[in-house]
Amino acid sequence: MTDILQKLPFKITQLGIQSPEEVENIFAELRAAFDRELGEKHDIEGLEGIRIRWRGRKGLDRLLRDNWLKPESKFKPAVGKAYNDFKDYVESSLALRLQHLRAQEESREMAAEGVDLTLPGLAARRGARHLVTQTLEEICDIFARIGFSVVEGPEVETDYYNFEALNIPQHHPARDTMDTLYLDLPARALPEEIRGPRSDPNQFLLLRTHTSPVQIRTMEKQKPPVRVVVPGKVYRRDNPDATHSFMFHQVEGLAVDRDLTFCEFKGAMEYFLREFFGPETKTRFAASYFPFTEPSADLAATCGVCQGSGCSVCKHTGWIELFGAGMVDPAVYGFVDYEPGELSGFAFGMGVERFAMIKYGVDDLQLFFQNDVRFLQQFRR
Amino acid sequence: MKILLQWLKEYVDSGVAPEKLAADLTLAGMAMEGLSETEAGPLLELEITTNRPDLMSHYGVAREVSALYAKPLKPIEPQPVEVADLAAGAAKVEIEAPDLCHRYAALVLCNLKVQPSPEWLRKRLEACGIASINNIVDVTNYVLLELGHPTHAFDLDTLAEKRIVVRAAKAGEKITTLDGVARTLKPHHLVIADAKRPVALAGILGGAAMEISLRTKNVLLESAWFEPVTTRRAAKDLGLRTEASARFERGLDVEAPVRAARRCAELFLELAGGELLSGVIDVYPRRWDVPEITLRQGEILRTLGEALPAALVERLLAALGFVAARADQDSWRVATPSWRRDVSREIDLIEELARHYGYDKFPARLPPARQPVVLRPHAQAEAALRRALEAQGFDEAVCFTPVHPKDAEKFLAPGEELARLRNPISEETSVLRPSGLLSLVETLAWNVNRGQRHLRLYEIGKAYAVREGRFQERRVLTLALTGLLREKSVHEDEQPADFFALKGAVEAALQPFALPPFGFRPCDLACFQSGERATVEAGSQRLGVLGRLSSTLATDFKLRQAAFLAELDLEGLYAARLLAPEYRPVPRFPGVTRDFSLLLDLPVSFGSVRRTIESLGLPELVAVAAVDRFRGGALPADKYSLLVRVTFQSHERTLTDEEIRSASGRIVRALEKELGAKLRA
Repeated sequence: MTDILQKLPFKITQLGIQSPEEVENIFAELRAAFDRELGEKHDIEGLEGIRIRWRGRKGLDRLLRDNWLKPESKFKPAVGKAYNDFKDYVESSLALRLQHLRAQEESREMAAEGVDLTLPGLAARRGARHLVTQTLEEICDIFARIGFSVVEGPEVETDYYNFEALNIPQHHPARDTMDTLYLDLPARALPEEIRGPRSDPNQFLLLRTHTSPVQIRTMEKQKPPVRVVVPGKVYRRDNPDATHSFMFHQVEGLAVDRDLTFCEFKGAMEYFLREFFGPETKTRFAASYFPFTEPSADLAATCGVCQGSGCSVCKHTGWIELFGAGMVDPAVYGFVDYEPGELSGFAFGMGVERFAMIKYGVDDLQLFFQNDVRFLQQFRR
Repeated sequence: MKILLQWLKEYVDSGVAPEKLAADLTLAGMAMEGLSETEAGPLLELEITTNRPDLMSHYGVAREVSALYAKPLKPIEPQPVEVADLAAGAAKVEIEAPDLCHRYAALVLCNLKVQPSPEWLRKRLEACGIASINNIVDVTNYVLLELGHPTHAFDLDTLAEKRIVVRAAKAGEKITTLDGVARTLKPHHLVIADAKRPVALAGILGGAAMEISLRTKNVLLESAWFEPVTTRRAAKDLGLRTEASARFERGLDVEAPVRAARRCAELFLELAGGELLSGVIDVYPRRWDVPEITLRQGEILRTLGEALPAALVERLLAALGFVAARADQDSWRVATPSWRRDVSREIDLIEELARHYGYDKFPARLPPARQPVVLRPHAQAEAALRRALEAQGFDEAVCFTPVHPKDAEKFLAPGEELARLRNPISEETSVLRPSGLLSLVETLAWNVNRGQRHLRLYEIGKAYAVREGRFQERRVLTLALTGLLREKSVHEDEQPADFFALKGAVEAALQPFALPPFGFRPCDLACFQSGERATVEAGSQRLGVLGRLSSTLATDFKLRQAAFLAELDLEGLYAARLLAPEYRPVPRFPGVTRDFSLLLDLPVSFGSVRRTIESLGLPELVAVAAVDRFRGGALPADKYSLLVRVTFQSHERTLTDEEIRSASGRIVRALEKELGAKLRA
């Protein structure tokens, strides 16, 4: 019997086939040749060799298709069917064999050392730090690298520190953008050292709408140079939904010195965004308005999803809007007895949850406060 | 603000594609919110900041476009034809409250034909979101969108004595506004009245009775200036924010009224026929002084970090309507246009320059470091706590602090009151939480009710309360455990969370701090189950509380499994120093253990056994441990057995059997004598 494999380089029309039965016969021979080779291999590597030889792009299958399947002849339908059956046979034989070899290997693993190596290891589970805390720490750490200290302050504030000293007087339209939750308590209920001499003791206390009041408190206590970031909880009278919450976290920052200009402001902001989102990040500074900064800017970074080419996440602008910032309005210096003619500085404030949502693709703000452990534990490090 | 690009093009041609225009306007402070196609052509939606009412119009935006691209801005100079009769003869205007209404200009038009507006006008208004009503009202709205100054058309024949009086409302005075709502007014509301009654809420909305109708022939057109804060307060009080009030409350151009009125008149005559009586009734009691600002190159450099060429400064200021005159080599005297009340200081001008020069053109430089970074005073303490708790498998929760008063009361300490919100979003969030325990009980319930039954949680946050009229917020650490500490596996049996797992976590949290020796004492806090609750105290200082959640509260919060919670006072802990590790020589000689199986009366605690042993002052004693505890079986009901393991070790030598025997004997005798213990065989 000539080896069937030696017939493969010849066109089927050259083999002198006379009937469909002969077609079946030569495929049966092919099947026997495959079975012989398969029977000789006893490990996964060898099996892979056979797969490449019989089914690979440049293997026997190529010859089979070019020489037997494609040429026109009156037996073409019979060849087609026989080819398909053979192909299925090879695939399923390989798969079955692979499964068998894997099972063998696993049982060997166990037998070798006397323990079942596939049983899980025994270890204590570490707890997960909340994503808000991690993000807040990361933001503060980045600013620490360029000389910013961390300060904190009270969550319950007076109107003076939350608004007035930040150049937002009563009836200022900017108050509309920060709907405020008030306490049913007058400012005089606060200890005097927190209330300060300039707060009206009869005005109602409020839940701070930003951490900026701590900037005022810092400047009251400290002469320039100042470089601080202020992390903490803030509150707005917003109905909760996927992007709003009546409580969230901010990190705000302030730098005041004798030689800070718009260029240093840009440098600090660009450094931060590249550290946080990655070295390729580009930053956009668009003019804006805040009562306590001038010039003011809205900062955006290139969308991390589409790298700036435009997608549904960035509403096809290529930019993700991130936070407001700017040069400190000289009017603010007046409230803390700084000399506006000699000083300059910049301030910024960002929502921590928003940064976490963008970085990790979290799509619902409420997840941060439900504390479902299936959410919390995703951020274990 | 909705801007139709074809309309904009009537005043300035930017020469760029809509997308480019939108991106450039965004950079210049008018953030693009949308770009869409309408029946009146492409529509650009811009977000206008609250300081720029002048940009709430096509012409205002056109001025910015003209400055951005250095393209000419077409002037608007309305020239309506007047008849000989004097407007002053047909109507009278008085201002009784000149502080609240700095100017009131009025035109009078006669024999107008009220009818539907032509298609081009309707399409523009509708594309900008304003419904078309009739040609008269539509023209006032059109001019509002064009020039940004609100005007109002009264049916002149409905005005008693054809007289306009601008005055404060009388308490309880009523008006039915154009929206059909009857409103009761307060004295701080400003009204436009005729000889008898209010006919409009100044700067907000007109009255229904003076509405332009198909019968209207003669019109008094109001174009005035109302004080921003008064307008804003009234609009807020009445819950009525209109296109007009949104502009007046931000401070409009007091020089604009006459031009806006004449522009309306021009369009009235074109679309409704009729005649314009000659002259403007212009009562202008509070003139606007043009502010002059000194602008210095040095200050531009000091603020922006880059000097701007003088020619550029002058071009940009002129394009934005400022009049700049050189004062000397390095400075200008700059007169502000009347529509820019937001610009009154040198810094305001510098911002204008930076904005139009382009923020993107300034180089970025890192600020120099000035002083060492200072961590928060408690930063290390907090880090130590987090490490300790996370190593024990506690996940961190971050919880809302506004809570439901009915829940909060259950965790309120004696002598404290809840801090209530005046304007809460809902009853569920109307007080500040008096304790972190409440938040973690809720968090446990949330998770357990979603199939997550084995939980270890911590939270570092604040608790808020009022004590003797004083509000205080204090930092607290809260811990919670429920379910299994360990689930059953091939390696281990399951281990349920219990009081001692909680106690261990509390001890681990306290371990990093240099505190006086602390102990756990029974307490009667109602939120915990009697028999499994304690305070933890160091000397006279209470560090915190811990225990098993009472079954009443567990039921209240729908928590159907045992839960163990603790709250520690972080103000106290943060005041303590952090322990630094201390070196002690490693023992060179082996230690020896002896077990004592004791039968004890029930009230006798392990603690008293240990204290009794320790008080013997045995120099080689290094540890006293409780190894096993047993009650019931053959033991009398009031007794229990305790297996105590004592470790002896010397730094000088290996201990002899004789020494161990003697020490053991002293221990047994002391336990028998002091505690009535019996040594079991």
